[in-house]
Amino acid sequence: MIESKANRKFKEAAFYNSQNDGGYFLLPFKFHRLNGEKEILVNEVGDYLILPTGTTATIVNRQISKENNSELYGDLIANFFISEEAIHPLIDVLATRYRTKKHFLNYFTGLHIFVISLRCEHTCFYCQVSRVTENRDQYDMSIQNIDRGIEIMFKSPNPHVTMEFQGGEALLAFDNIKYAVEKSEKIAGEIGKQITFVICTNLALVNEEILYYCKEHKILISTSLDGPQSIHDSNRHKPHASSYALAIKGIKLSREILGEDQVSALMTTTTLSLEHPIEIVDEYYNMGFPGIFLRNISPYGFALRTEKSKYSTDKFIEFYKKALGRILEYNFQGHYFTEDLARIYLTKILTPFNTGFVDMQSPAGLINGVIVFNYDGGVYATDESRMLAEQKDFTFKLGTLNDEYKDLFFGAKAQEIAQVWSNEALAGCSECAFQAYCGADPVHHHATQGDMYGYRPTSAFCQKNMEIIRYLIELMESEPKIKKIFESWISKK
Amino acid sequence: MAHINCIKDGEIIVFANTLLFSKDALFKCLYWYGDKFHTSVSFADVDNYCVKIKPLSTAAINSEDLELYQQKLERDLIDFQLRDVVTKETQNIRDLIIAKAFSNGEFDEDPPGDVSDPVGFNPSL
Ligand code: SF4
Repeated sequence: MIESKANRKFKEAAFYNSQNDGGYFLLPFKFHRLNGEKEILVNEVGDYLILPTGTTATIVNRQISKENNSELYGDLIANFFISEEAIHPLIDVLATRYRTKKHFLNYFTGLHIFVISLRCEHTCFYCQVSRVTENRDQYDMSIQNIDRGIEIMFKSPNPHVTMEFQGGEALLAFDNIKYAVEKSEKIAGEIGKQITFVICTNLALVNEEILYYCKEHKILISTSLDGPQSIHDSNRHKPHASSYALAIKGIKLSREILGEDQVSALMTTTTLSLEHPIEIVDEYYNMGFPGIFLRNISPYGFALRTEKSKYSTDKFIEFYKKALGRILEYNFQGHYFTEDLARIYLTKILTPFNTGFVDMQSPAGLINGVIVFNYDGGVYATDESRMLAEQKDFTFKLGTLNDEYKDLFFGAKAQEIAQVWSNEALAGCSECAFQAYCGADPVHHHATQGDMYGYRPTSAFCQKNMEIIRYLIELMESEPKIKKIFESWISKK
Repeated sequence: MAHINCIKDGEIIVFANTLLFSKDALFKCLYWYGDKFHTSVSFADVDNYCVKIKPLSTAAINSEDLELYQQKLERDLIDFQLRDVVTKETQNIRDLIIAKAFSNGEFDEDPPGDVSDPVGFNPSL
């Protein structure tokens, strides 16, 4: 017999086996039936196992053992679903993993949206907020409010802030954007913060002078492209011109001057779009974008009230699946082309990390990740909150730019919202297997159900997330080549 | 008296033994039926809960669907009971994980077992 050294780190195998009397301890996990045959088990840090239906019952009822189900037992131990000791010896690893998942909380608010002007030269049917007017005084952000917004932005503990200019049409107030950029650049340099600038624009007014300025100041362009001309022009109405033609011309010019990767586009799915998933994906592919973000229309304000843009979540999910199928076809042919909503979920499902996407976080991204300074000095929790305000619903107004930082970000209103911003503590979500992949959206639930807390069985937010997450997992499990494609989407930045 | 799950007058009636099912599991399960059904929980007798669900007039559920919903309810009750067991058994460890995750090291522990020097480099041993 080999004598063990007194200070040897690893004991003989018999020692470990003797510890296991067939019993084990459960670690926190949740489960969900994927279909008739399979169920998914997800642990506290988002790791998952897909197992035959009924496995959870055998685990919970202590019907599996190391001897009789060695492979399953090993998987459950290795993936933190069960433990042989009451306090898992690697509990600190689990805690670190949990901290990594919630890392987005570390730095607090990063995205600061400045609604630089409410004026717009488009008359899109689903837009509630914009005004076609020459009245700058009433609908542009004043210099005083810009100054105050910048002051508040730099109070954020986040070492890297983003200043995003929105409208209306932001370029109608380009002089004010220039003022804000130059002032912020100077302060950021002085106090050693990093800053990123973004202009959200329909590009109708863009010209070389504006773009060279953007190049000089490293300003990113985010535009809208709803699909081919027939869809885009029908969604986005510009009197006496084709919004699509202007957008395409603007995208090309922006890429020429700023570089391909400095210009991104977002689409909004209207009722008309629902009938054209393939054409919309093709438009993005043909325009040379590396991917597309299939977004459903936000159920706020005008969008909620016009029949033209009202559709059921079922229809959106159907649209989404068809469009995703087309995207996968491109990938099967060897092209790298992604879907961004899937990328957000997949990052949460397949990696130890989370994403910075504020609409899908718990605690929610509002205030923690994003804040909106409205043209009139109002401060709102999200972009959608200020749209509600245009309908005289000020539920998510945190105050005004004249208020103190602590009162805006930690005041009574922020505390009220904080009660309902963690899905871990919401009815329905608290036992949901997809909790780690999903988020909380108090603004959506207030807007659609009249209650920030929300009621999951009728929530469009829940229905969409639950089905798309389930579908992505089902796709990956059914075809290894799809899993490979999905992995490539999240490994490439 | 034996209680048998059934559909009566358009209402699904399911019994759950109080020793086997927790009240929390019952309510968490019924939460998901509130969009389509009137729901109620009562005691059938000291040993059994009586769970009743009746389709809302707006839910467009026909009588053929009721049997499927009965099956779904019976299955969901078991699933939510399993979830309840996991939640309750793991509450402390979950609290500990979260407390450690958000602490600044004050809950960190030394690695379990004897702190040893596997290859004998430490001259103090
Ligand atoms: S919103 Fe729905 S899918 Fe998301 S965690 Fe809650 S219950 Fe689950």
